[in-house]
Amino acid sequence: MNPVTNLPEKSKLALEALHQVLDPEIGLNVVDLGLIYRLDFDEEKKELFCTMTLTTSFCPMGESITFGVLQALEACFPGYAVHVGLSFDPPWSQDLISGEGLQFLNR
Amino acid sequence: MFGVPVSSVAQKTTSHKVVLPFYGYAAASLFAAALLILANSAAFTGHYFHPRILAITHILALGWATMIILGASHQLVPILVEGSLYSEKLAMASFILAGLGIPLLSYGFYYFEMGWPAKWGGRLVVLAILCYLINLFKSISRGKQDNVHALFVFTAGLWLFITAFFGLVLVYNFTYTLLSEDTLHYLPLHAHTGILGWFLLLVMGVASRLIPMFLISKYRNPRLLWLIYLLINTALLGFFFLYLSTVLINLIFIPALMVLAAVFLFIYYCYRAYQARLRKRVDPQVRISLFSVGLLALPWMLLLILIGLLLRNGGEQTSLALAYGFLVFFGWITAIILGMTFKTLPFIVWNKTYHHLAGIGRTPNPKDLFHDGIFRVMVLAYLAGLIFFTAGILAVQLFLLQAGAVLLLGTAAMYNWNVFKLLFHKKPVT
Repeated sequence: MNPVTNLPEKSKLALEALHQVLDPEIGLNVVDLGLIYRLDFDEEKKELFCTMTLTTSFCPMGESITFGVLQALEACFPGYAVHVGLSFDPPWSQDLISGEGLQFLNR
Repeated sequence: MFGVPVSSVAQKTTSHKVVLPFYGYAAASLFAAALLILANSAAFTGHYFHPRILAITHILALGWATMIILGASHQLVPILVEGSLYSEKLAMASFILAGLGIPLLSYGFYYFEMGWPAKWGGRLVVLAILCYLINLFKSISRGKQDNVHALFVFTAGLWLFITAFFGLVLVYNFTYTLLSEDTLHYLPLHAHTGILGWFLLLVMGVASRLIPMFLISKYRNPRLLWLIYLLINTALLGFFFLYLSTVLINLIFIPALMVLAAVFLFIYYCYRAYQARLRKRVDPQVRISLFSVGLLALPWMLLLILIGLLLRNGGEQTSLALAYGFLVFFGWITAIILGMTFKTLPFIVWNKTYHHLAGIGRTPNPKDLFHDGIFRVMVLAYLAGLIFFTAGILAVQLFLLQAGAVLLLGTAAMYNWNVFKLLFHKKPVT
């Protein structure tokens, strides 16, 4: 599932950066795992809002994963204030895993 | 819509400082128990009501299995109930109290000193469990989700408290006549409250959530889990009633059959979760945990044979009873812990050491923080040790018992090597 965004070009850059952030248990990146829901850019204020989820709320690795997303986006967009928010509406399900993600899990 | 800022959820997972001491204590207890098994192999050719066997059983049941389960559940309960742990201080209190109580209690049994060591040990263990139970109740009652997994865990905690309290009464019964019969008479009740009420319910409640999660499986079946829950609790209450009633004792196979049915339903649940998994490659840690689910059936089938022989021939059937207890603790429970330790501990340690590098730097894989080769050899040594020792108990052969004990000691040493390698892991200086 591609995340919703208001700036597709910039979103593409963000997703490339987020491909480097892995769920340490599964070994799959957060984009193909379907954890990224929205990427909203505010060009005037130079802000980026990333809305994401976790495979389960209170995931023990949640802090590392969200911190990884924050750091990857900050490195990709210097000068932007990056905000990462968690949403469990809808909750994550296996249906959100991308085709590449399914291929990875099938290996 | 922007979600909840991550800064507000970052502190909600349980601190590693609370969880890690339980893992260290449990690993040391496994080593101590394995050492004592080797030193006292001959005791396993006789009756299970033997001071050395009682001490070893309590080191395994409390120091090894219960301590690691308590530690892990402080981390896992937030996942099950989708809410944070109520109190980390209570968790530490339960660690300290149990950590002091278990050696005292075990010393009391080993030298059959039922005075202050066993009594104080028992009291401290009961207090530790009370702290855990309060923490569990408060965490569940303020969590977002009422679910069957949380109910399994809480009911298991209640049975653990009953087991420990009843155990303390049995210790007192050695010096004061509190009960109408001697302590030995009540031992099956004490043991099965712990085995079925605490270990079986707890493992089923947690594993039914974790196994599909680790396999990335779509399979969910809360109705089946409810049925398993009812079967085990009804069987346990029925066992109490039938055991204490002298007239209906012949019906005691009914609760045993109910437990066996629950076990097979749980194996079926895990099999369906395995079939519906998206993650095709199953790592060795999950594989040994799945193997332990299969191992579950073994002691219960042995129990049915035991009951059948007891009802038909009478007598003690000491070898079968010992083999049954051994397969419960060193078979099923140990197998699941050996697997799940290396499915949880590396991630806790990784989180502690590397979370600030996530997304920006190269970090090792959590699975690389322990020695995979040693893990695999440990599993082989464990399986061989389990087979040899069980055969030694059943055949009453000291040589088999000693060979099994050496292999189990090797298992414990390799387990400790990897656990302490993880516990003392430091970020390499670059």
